[in-house]
Amino acid sequence: MLNNRISNQAHSSIRDRNGPCISVTNLKKQYGKANAFTLDGISFDVKYGTVFGFLGPNGAGKTTTLKILTTLLSPTSGSVYIFGKDIIRKQSEIKRKIGVVSQNPSFEANLTVERALDLYGLLWGLHSRVRKNRVDEILSTFDLESIRNSKNDELSIGQRRRVQLAREFMHGEDMELLFLDEPTIGLDPSARRMLLDYIRKHVMSGLTVFFTTHIMEEAEYLCDEIAIIDNGRIIAFDTPTGLKQKYGGANKIIEITFREVLNQSFVDLLKKIIFSSENMDGDRKRRVVTTNTTSHIDINETNPNGITITVNNAEEVISEILQLVSKNGMQIESISINPPSLEEVFLSIVNDDNNLRLTKENEVNE
Amino acid sequence: MKSMNDYFIGYSIILLVYRNIVAAIDKMFLIWQIAFPVVYIFVAGYAYSALIGDQGITIGSLTVTYVSFLTAGMIGFNVMNGSTIAGAIIWNDKRNGMFQQILVMPFNKIQYVIANLITLILIGLGSAAVIMVIGFPTIFHDINVTLWSIPYTIYALIAGSIFFGSFTIILSTRMKSSEGYNVISNGLFLFFAFVSSAFYPAEGLPQLLSAAFYLNPLTYIVDLTRVGIFAQVSTFTNIEVVILGLLSSTVFLIATRSMSKMEA
Repeated sequence: MLNNRISNQAHSSIRDRNGPCISVTNLKKQYGKANAFTLDGISFDVKYGTVFGFLGPNGAGKTTTLKILTTLLSPTSGSVYIFGKDIIRKQSEIKRKIGVVSQNPSFEANLTVERALDLYGLLWGLHSRVRKNRVDEILSTFDLESIRNSKNDELSIGQRRRVQLAREFMHGEDMELLFLDEPTIGLDPSARRMLLDYIRKHVMSGLTVFFTTHIMEEAEYLCDEIAIIDNGRIIAFDTPTGLKQKYGGANKIIEITFREVLNQSFVDLLKKIIFSSENMDGDRKRRVVTTNTTSHIDINETNPNGITITVNNAEEVISEILQLVSKNGMQIESISINPPSLEEVFLSIVNDDNNLRLTKENEVNE
Repeated sequence: MKSMNDYFIGYSIILLVYRNIVAAIDKMFLIWQIAFPVVYIFVAGYAYSALIGDQGITIGSLTVTYVSFLTAGMIGFNVMNGSTIAGAIIWNDKRNGMFQQILVMPFNKIQYVIANLITLILIGLGSAAVIMVIGFPTIFHDINVTLWSIPYTIYALIAGSIFFGSFTIILSTRMKSSEGYNVISNGLFLFFAFVSSAFYPAEGLPQLLSAAFYLNPLTYIVDLTRVGIFAQVSTFTNIEVVILGLLSSTVFLIATRSMSKMEA
């Protein structure tokens, strides 16, 4: 039945899919004339049937954007079209086809899980027979059977979150666009993975998802495209791979595990190799993109034999490290070279943007 | 697939009213709504009757037993109690995130406001009906309803629901903490309940206390309820109708404005 429904949804939502699902142009939002713009002219498109990741540090403008897209806030200027319809003029038409799971909990405290789901279906205008089937299906899919008769007030934070997420799928075939604002907060790893896979399945059948998260692994796992917002501006936009290629540059992460515990003198020698190389040749500078911005080398705290080095000329550094290892009579158990993770790229982009902004502000002040 | 909402805007309001009633009324609320007035009518009513003897209470040209007087007062009193649920609905919707969630569904703020106002009137009338049924055995020998008097009772109950419902809505939209909301609403409702003619007649009271009674809308609500039930319409009754109408309209407008300004 679930597959049938997804298939029906796919058929209904593939119709009339010319242009982007969401189109935002030069969107600005200012809270009070004296304040700076919270959103300073952002523009982006979200394609139908994809997951669009909207990432940014706290206070970057994510929630404001989400509130505008979900009709809770009016923009100061700029345009937003969803399903090709103006968000100001066609609000009610748009709202019938969207689902929203907000970051903050929302629940009917006095109702049992089953009754709350049923009531939610009723608010979406579903017929009682459809509601009953869907409630059973959702309780089973989201592993809520054991708490179906518990009141929302009595649930743990994680259980309540699962109910909140599950509830949005009561909406059914009409939902073409789902907004997920940090949906996995409070979920355990298995519930988190189950949710991400469930969303993926729906996306494959035509659902479009606008997704905000602070967990980069989730964004990497789920998103087709990612926009990074900071200080009310979009500062990067690409696929996860594209972002890594574009902003990770030639950076590579070298992870080495030695047979013996590392001593400080050996670590100092490693640092010397990397820093001396940096000092010798400006063009070959090794830039750190890890969270540990004060050092090129991270000692693995849980494994005293392990070390992580982030550099942009991994091949050259490796040969120097191997020479050093052999000279010091040490033995390597394993070695790997990987591109930087999305989290490292994200931090690099945001840090670079902040540095650029501070430089500009200083120039203006001078 | 088109739903009813696509054809009939009022259907959205009906859905929200239904949702309010289902989500807001729990067992504790029902027990409170029934047990509280029952104790007053059957315990306080008969106990005070024993205290004051057979003298009865005068309403216009009619003298009724204290229990009848109290039961009619309890109808208005229960309207006040029941209407507080309107404030609780908004308070809980804000606290539990349902206000924002409803606004991202196919409902707008105006529908939400109207649905809450209809809910509070329905709950107020429902509460009055419950007391009417429960208290009927104590009042039936004194009832003197006429076609001309009963509209006063109905008016009092509706206007009373609107006044107290709107009042709690204003509190719930303005207050930031649940402690503050509870302290202020409990304190004010204590004043409303006991500085009114719900439990005792205003006639014969010290002038200052009598004046305080008539600063309280519950006095007008219970007076008009009794006027309808015992058919004792006078010129002052119509003045009370106007005062209650003005009070309810003013508080209603402020409540509507407060709800419209609520931010998701």
